[in-house]
Amino acid sequence: MAFQILLNFILAFVWMFLKTSYSPASFFVGYFFGLLIIYIFRRFFNSRFYLLRVSAVLNLIYIFTLELILSNIAVLKAVLRPKLNIKPGIFAFPTELKEDWEITMLANLITLTPGTLVVDVSPDNRILYVHAMDISDADEAIQSIKNTFEKAIMEVSR
Amino acid sequence: MKTNDIILQTVTKFTLFVIILFSIHLFFAGHYYPGGGFIGGLMTSGAIVLLLLAFDIKTVKMILPVDYLKVVAVGLLFAIGTGAGALFFDKPFLTHAYTYAYLPLLGKTSLHTAVLFDTGVFLVVIGVTMTIIQTIGESE
Repeated sequence: MAFQILLNFILAFVWMFLKTSYSPASFFVGYFFGLLIIYIFRRFFNSRFYLLRVSAVLNLIYIFTLELILSNIAVLKAVLRPKLNIKPGIFAFPTELKEDWEITMLANLITLTPGTLVVDVSPDNRILYVHAMDISDADEAIQSIKNTFEKAIMEVSR
Repeated sequence: MKTNDIILQTVTKFTLFVIILFSIHLFFAGHYYPGGGFIGGLMTSGAIVLLLLAFDIKTVKMILPVDYLKVVAVGLLFAIGTGAGALFFDKPFLTHAYTYAYLPLLGKTSLHTAVLFDTGVFLVVIGVTMTIIQTIGESE
């Protein structure tokens, strides 16, 4: 991916030299044509066309923002309720992610969405221990994390 | 004995993109400077020929799954379409129109329908060249 971005930048500069105009506009035009060529030759590279990965990152940001708002509302409801009928507890979350930064990212995303909190990571990086505010449906929580965060992170790193 | 083409292949991986960018530059330069659809198309197919030299025909087909005869057909359609478009405005066949537009990033740009005609030429040249070369290359 880094190679594709670097190539695209170099192509943009080559375009500026060909045009002998060093304005931002000609840089963008060159970047656009470079993007077009890289798209046409996308099967040439070992990794995916890099714009797909950029869109995956944007998707991850969107999912995170959405989850943040929704779960904050859920916590607000629990706080304002006169009786506390929640059942806190810790469950194990088996993750399929391998890279260090992926696991760190997943742990931070789980922690930043209220209601859940990563307590510990198992030594072999396979299991995340998550403290949940309401553990009455641990399986459902695991599934929802798997479907949203883990999938979106995998989409970025694949 | 199969020789190792790693140097040729690695250089191709970068040079290919610069050549195609130069061909796009030539294509758009055509109106005011030397260049145009023909030389642009030849240069692009030259880049693909370089790809064919560095890799084999199967790899290139995998990288660019294009039917070059269809490219020729689309190019001819572009050329005829821009020519026939003039008929709708009560003008003779192949009359071209142009206007100046202020685009957000590009500034003052002249939009000319001759570019569309040139695109047709560009595609036909790529298609014909690649068809000739691939047909000769494939036959034993």
